[in-house]
Amino acid sequence: MSIHPPDTPRTTAPAVDEDMRLHFEVQRLYALEAQLLDQHRYADWLELFTDDLHYWAPVRTNRLRRQQALADGSPGEVAIFDETKASLAWRIRRFDSGMAWAEDPPSRTRHLITNILVWPAGEPGEYVAESSFLCYRNRLEREVDLYAGGRTDQLRRDPDDGRLLIARRTILLDQNVLLAKNISTFL
Amino acid sequence: MTTTPARLGALPARRVGEDRLARVPEPAVDVSPYFDLDRGLVDRTIFSDQAVYRQELRRVFAPSWLFLAHESQFTKPGDFFTSYMGEDPVIVTMGKDRKLRAFLNACRHRGMRVCRADAGATKAFTCSYHGWSYDTSGKLINVPNGGDYPAHFEQDQWGLIEVAQLDTYKGLVFATWNPEAPPLVDALGGLAWYLDAMLDHDPEGTEAVGGVHKWVLEGNWKLAAEQFASDWYHVNISHASALMVMSPTGKGPKTEIVQTPGRQYTDSLGHGHGFPTHPKSRFDDRVVHEWTDYEALRERLGDARVEGPMTTGHGTVFPNFSYLPVNGSIRVWHPKGPDKMEVWAWTIVDKSMPDEVKDAQRIYNLRTFGPSGIFEQDDGENWSEVQATAHGFVAGSMTLNYQMGLGLQSEDGVHPGTTGRLYSDGAARGFYTRWRDLMNTPAWHEKNTEKNPEDTP
Repeated sequence: MSIHPPDTPRTTAPAVDEDMRLHFEVQRLYALEAQLLDQHRYADWLELFTDDLHYWAPVRTNRLRRQQALADGSPGEVAIFDETKASLAWRIRRFDSGMAWAEDPPSRTRHLITNILVWPAGEPGEYVAESSFLCYRNRLEREVDLYAGGRTDQLRRDPDDGRLLIARRTILLDQNVLLAKNISTFL
Repeated sequence: MTTTPARLGALPARRVGEDRLARVPEPAVDVSPYFDLDRGLVDRTIFSDQAVYRQELRRVFAPSWLFLAHESQFTKPGDFFTSYMGEDPVIVTMGKDRKLRAFLNACRHRGMRVCRADAGATKAFTCSYHGWSYDTSGKLINVPNGGDYPAHFEQDQWGLIEVAQLDTYKGLVFATWNPEAPPLVDALGGLAWYLDAMLDHDPEGTEAVGGVHKWVLEGNWKLAAEQFASDWYHVNISHASALMVMSPTGKGPKTEIVQTPGRQYTDSLGHGHGFPTHPKSRFDDRVVHEWTDYEALRERLGDARVEGPMTTGHGTVFPNFSYLPVNGSIRVWHPKGPDKMEVWAWTIVDKSMPDEVKDAQRIYNLRTFGPSGIFEQDDGENWSEVQATAHGFVAGSMTLNYQMGLGLQSEDGVHPGTTGRLYSDGAARGFYTRWRDLMNTPAWHEKNTEKNPEDTP
């Protein structure tokens, strides 16, 4: 990946136009996603993902600088999330049971998504998008949790209606010891 | 017994002559009034009182064998992992002789943490404050500006403080500061038979999956340790939503599973292990279940263990190590003050499992347990809300009911030691009996201090 975002001044005007359109589309996708999560509309949220989704949040460890390559968990290691669309659906069904006490009464959350960078990748209609998130959770009387980090998504257009869908998400939560009693929302 | 004041040298590790100050003894709290365990009564003060907590660090954590890591985390000399024993930071490392050792992670000069990585490989632990450097056997190997120390400075007396004993049990690494602690296998006592249902499936043993789940909980560490020792009772209510999505019908477990028979082991060492014995009370992963050769396990471990402790059970090695056999989850509840704990959870798998089965076990565990697990999310809610109500004068000192299963414990002829019904507070009463006795007994490091009348209740 180049260290420059794709819309450097060197690109031609029509390309800039295309980039802006794409950026706007992704930004709107993430704003919608955040709204669905904050409104606890998880079944609708799940519609934003492809059927072959991989949704992954590795753990982050403190490593010496010369061993930084090992600081983010690898595939196959302990993770906070390592999910398919089916397993996310399974997690979501739990909330509908009426007995998921960790979210009953529900938390108040606010997912803020920012620092979006997106560029074409792979086949036509496929993109990579990076974003930063800050999720504020306020629960019961005075519990406050902050989940901050970055996400790298692979996006793919739905072959039928051309909508952008999320096919793969890697979440790097910027914490070592998770400073919350659980994660009962999605990031 | 001598009457000389205790010196830090009374702590394990480096026994030296003169370069130690006497430890100032702290007053002891008599915790007996907080219990009437024969009647199943516990005063909540033990979960929130600061003086009780300080005494726990001295008399429960310091003298006990505490879990550190899994042996498979260390494959070559210099490999290290940092953890805690009570609130004491420690480094576990493999020396050049391939021996595992554990040291206080604090420089002998100013107490700076000498290793600030969670894990890795190194030749030496060099303090980033003034540069004192220690090798992987804990020896002080470099002191910058050493010529400015007086003639009586003996470098070999200032190595990292080492635990008194370190040993492993079937892959699990434990250590203690207590030179007088019985050997690890004796400290595990009768629980080993139950623990083996998780650790001893085949001669190859277990290994830890890479990475450790770590998260904080606003709750006293005993809430979790006690629950894993004793409490199957909460499962049907606390975890109702998880049971519902995991049951084949999606409507929750059938009555005979909810009313499952089972047993709960308890002993005088404070350990506990509870397990259902209904053959369909299983919440294990399908891939793992299908791969498992139950006939071979029956051959190796006997029918009673396969049908009991190996099922959807839970256990605690006193004081703060717990495990879930079907999930492959092992965890330690690090105390962080009376109101906080930190959970560190590993996933272990049988070494003989094919990779896809290991991966199935790993994924199953992280979806059910761990901070996002559909079971564990609700445990976090319970413990934090229990703790949140402990600070009122009335609520914080009320008597709690631990009477379930009182008078129903016996030797059943199938499961060794004392067991009671699955739905019982039996192992919790056993846990607190042991905790109370340790709290009211001066630890080895207090024995050389001048006798404190409060020490003998």
